[in-house]
Amino acid sequence: MKRRKFIKTAATGIVAPYILPSGRLFAASGTRIANHVVFVLFGGGIRNQESVSQQYLANQGLATEGNIMPNILEGAIPTSNLVFDPWTPAISNPLSKQGTLFKEVRYVSGPTGHYNGTTVAMTGNYTETGINLVTNPEFPTIFEYYRKHSDPAKAAINSWWLSEGLGPFPSLNYSRHPLYGAQYGANYLRPASIIGQAGYEQFGNAETYQPDDVQRILKVKSLLDKNFHKDANDLPGIQNTPEDRERIKNFLLQELEDAVNNNYDVATPTNTYDGLTGDLLNISSAWHVLREFQPELTVINTVNTDICHDLFSLSLDYLHRADFGIGWLWNNIQNHPVLANDTIMICMPEHGRNLEQNTLTDANGFGAYDHTGTDNARRVFTLVVGPPDKVVQDQSLGSPNNPVAESIDAVPTIAKILGFDDQIPAGMLPGRFLNEAFI
Amino acid sequence: MRNDLLYSLILVFTITLFGCGKETTLTTNPVVDNYIYDVNGEIIYQSSLQKNKQKTPAQYISILYANLFQTSIPVDVLGVLGEVRVALGDKQMANELILNGFVHEPNVLIVSNNEMRNNVDEFIDETYLRFFLRAPTAYEKFELKKIIEEDLDLTPELIYQGFALSNEYQFY
Repeated sequence: MKRRKFIKTAATGIVAPYILPSGRLFAASGTRIANHVVFVLFGGGIRNQESVSQQYLANQGLATEGNIMPNILEGAIPTSNLVFDPWTPAISNPLSKQGTLFKEVRYVSGPTGHYNGTTVAMTGNYTETGINLVTNPEFPTIFEYYRKHSDPAKAAINSWWLSEGLGPFPSLNYSRHPLYGAQYGANYLRPASIIGQAGYEQFGNAETYQPDDVQRILKVKSLLDKNFHKDANDLPGIQNTPEDRERIKNFLLQELEDAVNNNYDVATPTNTYDGLTGDLLNISSAWHVLREFQPELTVINTVNTDICHDLFSLSLDYLHRADFGIGWLWNNIQNHPVLANDTIMICMPEHGRNLEQNTLTDANGFGAYDHTGTDNARRVFTLVVGPPDKVVQDQSLGSPNNPVAESIDAVPTIAKILGFDDQIPAGMLPGRFLNEAFI
Repeated sequence: MRNDLLYSLILVFTITLFGCGKETTLTTNPVVDNYIYDVNGEIIYQSSLQKNKQKTPAQYISILYANLFQTSIPVDVLGVLGEVRVALGDKQMANELILNGFVHEPNVLIVSNNEMRNNVDEFIDETYLRFFLRAPTAYEKFELKKIIEEDLDLTPELIYQGFALSNEYQFY
């Protein structure tokens, strides 16, 4: 039975045990809320003061407040003391009006580091393992839950993790958990390495082969593999099917060609590289992946605002641009024939930043903020955006003294949206489904 | 770096092979038959069964480069390739893309289709030695020769890719 057909059947109320051709009887996986999820780790460490509280420069000794995230939040942008280049929003209706904003969310425990915060968000479990940066996470990622517990099983091409930078982030596409692991992992891509200089230097000469030639290569490989005692499953990391691998290779080479020929759609107001940041390149590439493959589960991050360690003004500019990117992404999703009205996007910083400034100031004399495990660095927000028949619109929940959710709630929420929450073994996910956001 | 790598490999082979008590003949000095294939002097295997350790990404890329260009990989190229490989989650796909880029480099050393078809037996022997560091068995030779002769569009470029992407090539 095809997934979509089954969903339609389930939606009419016939949710009964399903007998496979093999005769195995089991409870059908739950009804989906939507068929696509985009999870944005809108990060780099963002304080609630400058984001959802719209305090702008109020904590820098100036009275100027305002909203520098006009794509995500409702509110007028600052009109004086501008330290960023205001971009016209990509969307006319802020995303907070198109969904539910949990204004006060807590990242309860663990180091407030970028990798650790991202790991917590993607595994739904607090962890203390952020110091050991080169290992895959201890707990299963959302990708592994999705691929292992969806019915029918999902190929890797249906799940993607795109990160702005390298470092430890490539290891977040699967965990080292003994019951999950690489066989359930997601495709990982760091666009800046492939679309950028490194990729061009190495793949600039690469060509796509005709299917006949691909088959010839595979025929030789198959002949050789037949005579060898170890197989490719011994190789580490995720693996696509040969067909999907060819699709992805062709996609990447086309991306490279488009970038070289200035045909690469980017999330800037002019669709040029002017103003393009690493965050916006990552968002742009995520859109290209969504447009090409329509994956059911896509996770991306932004990190450029981390410049706030020493340059507060520039961090506001990067925050403003990343906000534009999210509006641009949502706008594109809503104009795609498959993704429109069937996609739910969740945006959440991986952690916040301190209340107190460090000793560094930028050219405007503004103090900078680190993220060292303080209470303020544990304050974040979560935005759930989706179609009005699925997601509660224009709803805002929580206040500074009334946190209403936790960082670990994103994973069970995604599991519920994609209908495999009831297949996850009890005790694996301590967080909760953010039911207040859904119809 | 290349020398360090090879010395390490030789040491590993020596320990592994003598450690398991198997009778094995190692050729550490270039001989006429394999001289043109090696870059710095390599081991010739008696059997594919001797290969049990998986190459690291750096080893795979370095050896692939050496096999295709008959020279050691420049350090800066290795660094860039390491980055693009990390930037892709599917390592098999990363290897395929790297290989694809290599075989379309202007200075890559690939036998022409005519040369291959003028002496298929010699091409097979040389290709096995080049990529697998061993001679083909009679049956392996028979099988590969058969598909080469049956398909005139099967070029050395495609065969080289089949070897470089094979499971055996991932191991030493």
